[in-house]
Amino acid sequence: MTNRTNQPAEELHQELERVWGNQPGWRAGSAVNHTTVGLRFLVTGLGFFLVGGLLAMLVRTQLALPEQDIIGPELYNQLFTMHGTVMMFLFAIPVLEGAAMYLIPKMIGTRDLVFPRLSALGYYCYLFGGLIILSSLVLQIAPDAGWFMYTPLSNAEFSPGEGPDFWLLGITFVEISAISAGVELVVSILRTRANGMALNKMPIFCWYILAMALMIIFGFPPLILGSILLELERAAGWVFFDVAGGGDPLLWQHLFWLFGHPEVYIIFLPAAGIVSTLIPVFAQRPLVGYRWIVLAIIVMGFISFGLWVHHMFTVGIPQLALAFFSIASMLVAIPTAIQIFAWLATLWIGKVAFRLPMLWVCGFLMVFVAGGLTGVMLALVPFNWQVHDTHFVVAHMHYVLVGGMLFPLVAGFYYWLPHVSGRMPSDTLGRWGFWLFFGGFNMTFLLMHLTGLLGMPRRVYTYDAEMGWGWLNLLSSVGGFVMAIGVAVIILDITLHFRFGRKAECNPWNADTLEWATPMPASAYNFASLPDIDTRHPMWEHPDLPHTIEQGHHGLGEVMYERRDIFGSDAITGRVREVIHLPTNSWLPLQTAAVIAVVCVSLLVKAYTVALIALCGVLFFALRWSWHNGAHPVASPWREDDPVDPPLHSRTFDGPGLWGMVVSLMANGTLYVSLLFGWFYLWTAAPQWSMPAQAPISLWSLLASGTALVLAVVVYRRGVAQLRNGSDAPLQGALWLATGLGALHVGLLVWVLISAPLAPGDLAHDAVLTVMLYYLLLHGSLASILTALQALRVRIGYVSLRLPYEPVVVQPFWIYTLGVFWMSFAAFVVLPMVWGAG
Amino acid sequence: MSPWLPVHPAQLVFGLVIWSGWFVLLYGGLSVACELVPPAEKRGAMTWLNGLILLLGAALAVFLLWLARRCWRAAPASDQGTDSGRFVARIAAGVYLTSALAAFALTLPSVVMAPCL
Repeated sequence: MTNRTNQPAEELHQELERVWGNQPGWRAGSAVNHTTVGLRFLVTGLGFFLVGGLLAMLVRTQLALPEQDIIGPELYNQLFTMHGTVMMFLFAIPVLEGAAMYLIPKMIGTRDLVFPRLSALGYYCYLFGGLIILSSLVLQIAPDAGWFMYTPLSNAEFSPGEGPDFWLLGITFVEISAISAGVELVVSILRTRANGMALNKMPIFCWYILAMALMIIFGFPPLILGSILLELERAAGWVFFDVAGGGDPLLWQHLFWLFGHPEVYIIFLPAAGIVSTLIPVFAQRPLVGYRWIVLAIIVMGFISFGLWVHHMFTVGIPQLALAFFSIASMLVAIPTAIQIFAWLATLWIGKVAFRLPMLWVCGFLMVFVAGGLTGVMLALVPFNWQVHDTHFVVAHMHYVLVGGMLFPLVAGFYYWLPHVSGRMPSDTLGRWGFWLFFGGFNMTFLLMHLTGLLGMPRRVYTYDAEMGWGWLNLLSSVGGFVMAIGVAVIILDITLHFRFGRKAECNPWNADTLEWATPMPASAYNFASLPDIDTRHPMWEHPDLPHTIEQGHHGLGEVMYERRDIFGSDAITGRVREVIHLPTNSWLPLQTAAVIAVVCVSLLVKAYTVALIALCGVLFFALRWSWHNGAHPVASPWREDDPVDPPLHSRTFDGPGLWGMVVSLMANGTLYVSLLFGWFYLWTAAPQWSMPAQAPISLWSLLASGTALVLAVVVYRRGVAQLRNGSDAPLQGALWLATGLGALHVGLLVWVLISAPLAPGDLAHDAVLTVMLYYLLLHGSLASILTALQALRVRIGYVSLRLPYEPVVVQPFWIYTLGVFWMSFAAFVVLPMVWGAG
Repeated sequence: MSPWLPVHPAQLVFGLVIWSGWFVLLYGGLSVACELVPPAEKRGAMTWLNGLILLLGAALAVFLLWLARRCWRAAPASDQGTDSGRFVARIAAGVYLTSALAAFALTLPSVVMAPCL
């Protein structure tokens, strides 16, 4: 895909900068560019890291000597809860997402992520959600039930304050950000790679991020559901986890760890991706076993979902079932080992330059392998029982998480720092930072294994002197402060390098991947022209790429109609299929996130009317967002000279929006399956589960509602099918008819809900059923509204035979709505009638 | 391209999707079986339930191995010899093989452990 233009490079650069750049000054809040948003994630995440670190230092100060009373038990509980919450939810995942957002488009040879406004929304949700959670600390009402928020400790009876509400609402808010990043990254990696970059030519980092993003899609919804249910139990008194009403506190543990264990790998995989990227560069030879590593990534992504019960070995699960999870926990060590051996082999046969980033990679290898080995020990049920809830587990967790995430992250920071700033970090300060951190870390946590083996439990604010744990705790605390000094030195180094760092030359580490072909510091558009890529090591095989790209010698080397254009490519072969026109700077993401924040705060202060009004605001901004799309004048209106080979994506039936919809529905489906799991779990395992003798829902009304839904979907699909067959005449009518039938479906569902004698405050059965009905109601309503908007757009001319894209994007939503309706009908209505009511 | 072809990227995950289904069935099915038709405790691991788990595990492993072989054999000639097709087929074979081993490994504890204790 070459299109050499006669435009001088400097002129092209200015034109691209004008189209792709951010607004100046305070208007930069409207920026959607992936470089800006990614860096915002990183900087905000580092801010939260410092807060989390400060909390850890307070914890270590309290534990340094026995029988201290510097921090009372109440505050101590808040500190360790917030330390875990901040580090896991506000630092580890968002920072890695930010790094991925910054790097992925540059590595795959494109100019931006495929849904830039979604990235910006994700950032603001993360920022506002994080601030809401942290505000609880400032108000001294922070959650204190642990970062896992176990019930019944976190329910309204045992935690009557607002702390858990801050956690539940704030975390759910932050998770909107994670899911949007997941969708964004999956579709970007699959559909916007450089021309010719087939799956087997993708940089290995992209495989890791693809796996991470898919794991976010499937891993986060169980916790989102759990948080919604627990908040409903706390705020509205609905029964889900209370045994007396037929609930079960273990359901929370299942939902939490269904998220919580994969989360460890969601954190580890991108960090391992950094390692797999850096080692070949510093060994100056290709990564050994690329295929094996891809296999290991896929296997790890899946098996990590089968380990969640190893966090629950002591709750009373049958022994054989424990053994299943024990085996799965050991199995996951195999793909980890494959990667470690591939890294070692690459180092072995390469000529390694031990530059600063490599120091951190070596630290990672040592610390993470140690953490992995104690992980295998913990996978053994009898040993797990012995050390359960002791400092041994705390030590293991920090070896895995800090070793597996922070060490590679800092390696990556140092490696890509020249890319961001155009300057090199200081080797001397950097090495001081590393050794202080490495020494302090091992002093803190290596000894903590022993403290745990000697029996010191977690989450106790002090201990008797006669227990003999004093010297170990003192050394651990000293180590913690040494580690903190190491962090300070690293921050100093990074800060100083922006002013005093040596100017970086082009591709300063002689790396092989494409991000080093972009200008340093990075420009808003990454590539002045989009190159064809037929190798895994473009910068090694074509070292002149930075020059030819800058000169506009490759694809899309000109600006058309002020559009932000990138290539859309085939998911497998990477061959270009269309030109994707991306949305430009917008305040809509900030506005939407701000109104979601109002919903969140209103729920916290129990101002439900305000929350309802704000929710309408969310819907308004979201619909406005969707309106400014496709052929709308602010996006890409139809023109006679629209490109046809390849065409603009909004003129096709298979653009990235369809992929985004399908991936979003995967996340949505996981949430629904989690609800189904909750239903069946309570039905089979809750000690006092009971169903009413008479089914509370009107079967015939529900059947009528389902029939209207079936008709709506049939009509919608016929309209789209005719569009595909070349006729748009009946489209508007079909869309209005589908809207009407959808409205009828919703109306009947509302009738079912109103007429059913459901008592969600008394019975878990009714509570789950009510949630299910609201879920169906939400989907039916949304499908109808979206279709009404589509009908309007057909009328105005934004959708037509020449612009067929949008109805195709909405179609999967209808099909999903139909699927979950009948699945719910079978699982929640028919099954209890034929098996087990009464 | 049909997702059932050995060179389709969907094959990269099918094996482990099957493994996941097996895992859920094993964990959930065991709980339900122990609730509804628990074998006698005194029989230890020598129960119909353990036998069934092993049998199903072995059958599933054989099926997954067959799928692995199918992908492996398709690899050299895949996708008119293009790299990406071969790449997908080879890795899919590895995924099926791993899934087969993992599926059978999960059943091994039922050789020695009573099912409902």
